[in-house]
Amino acid sequence: MNQSEALINKLKRGDQSGFTAVMDLYQDMVYNTAISIVQNADDADDITQEVFVQVYLSINSFKGESKLSTWLYRITISKALDHEKRKKRKKRFAFVQSLVGGQDNEQLHPVEFNHPGIQLERKERAAELFKALKRLPDKQRVAFTLHKIEGQSYQEIAEIMNTSLYAVESLMGRAKTNLKKLLFNYYEEKF
Amino acid sequence: MNKKENINQLIDEAINSVEDVKRAAPMPFLLTRVYARLNKAKENMWEKATGFIGRPAIAIPGLILLIVINVTVVIFNRADPFTTSTEQSAQPSSDEFSDAVATIYDI
Repeated sequence: MNQSEALINKLKRGDQSGFTAVMDLYQDMVYNTAISIVQNADDADDITQEVFVQVYLSINSFKGESKLSTWLYRITISKALDHEKRKKRKKRFAFVQSLVGGQDNEQLHPVEFNHPGIQLERKERAAELFKALKRLPDKQRVAFTLHKIEGQSYQEIAEIMNTSLYAVESLMGRAKTNLKKLLFNYYEEKF
Repeated sequence: MNKKENINQLIDEAINSVEDVKRAAPMPFLLTRVYARLNKAKENMWEKATGFIGRPAIAIPGLILLIVINVTVVIFNRADPFTTSTEQSAQPSSDEFSDAVATIYDI
């Protein structure tokens, strides 16, 4: 029995030490994935908490057909994308409110996102990349995030996204092309 | 360097800016916050359950069902003492004519 299986068994028995160990092992992975998708530290923290609450409550539904990390990635991505959708709905509502008279500047014009793990000299370019990433379709954004920021291989991404290796390669290709287009338009307007 | 080349260089820099990125870590005391949320989730489950039972659409049919069950039980139990009393009254008469019953002459 490997470490992961032992942890899952502990979790299924309701052992608190098992849950603490899972959190110690995976909290950075979950938080980093969430923050890269939602691009907001507070929201990412909220999502991380939600992910671990779900892990605790639904560990018995985990059949062990995939790795624990794969399962955690799936929950995190699903929660982060749901969060994004909710935020977009709120943003539309805020826009309507602003037309009527109310003001909600923070929701309408979110502040520039700086990923905490990026080197200082690259922060400006990275902020521009993250801005462009927000405009990609969900699947392309997830594939790019998992590969470039989480350092996952195409094979692992295929498992996480429950798709084929070929589909991941295609998603990555389209993500890079779209990002280049978006960045080109951005820099062309800037200069 | 012309404008297009300059832009292409910036694009490459932007795409490569996330190479070797370090993992971001959550704020401290995440475990405490998760446990607090777990307790809240458990409380919410009870609140949801009581809220569900308390809804008129569930509560009223539930109450009616309970009354019907009670009335049925009472009706069936009324019939039962009658049959037991007839059995009891029949018992001595059968004992009376039984050879196995000991009489004072047997002692």
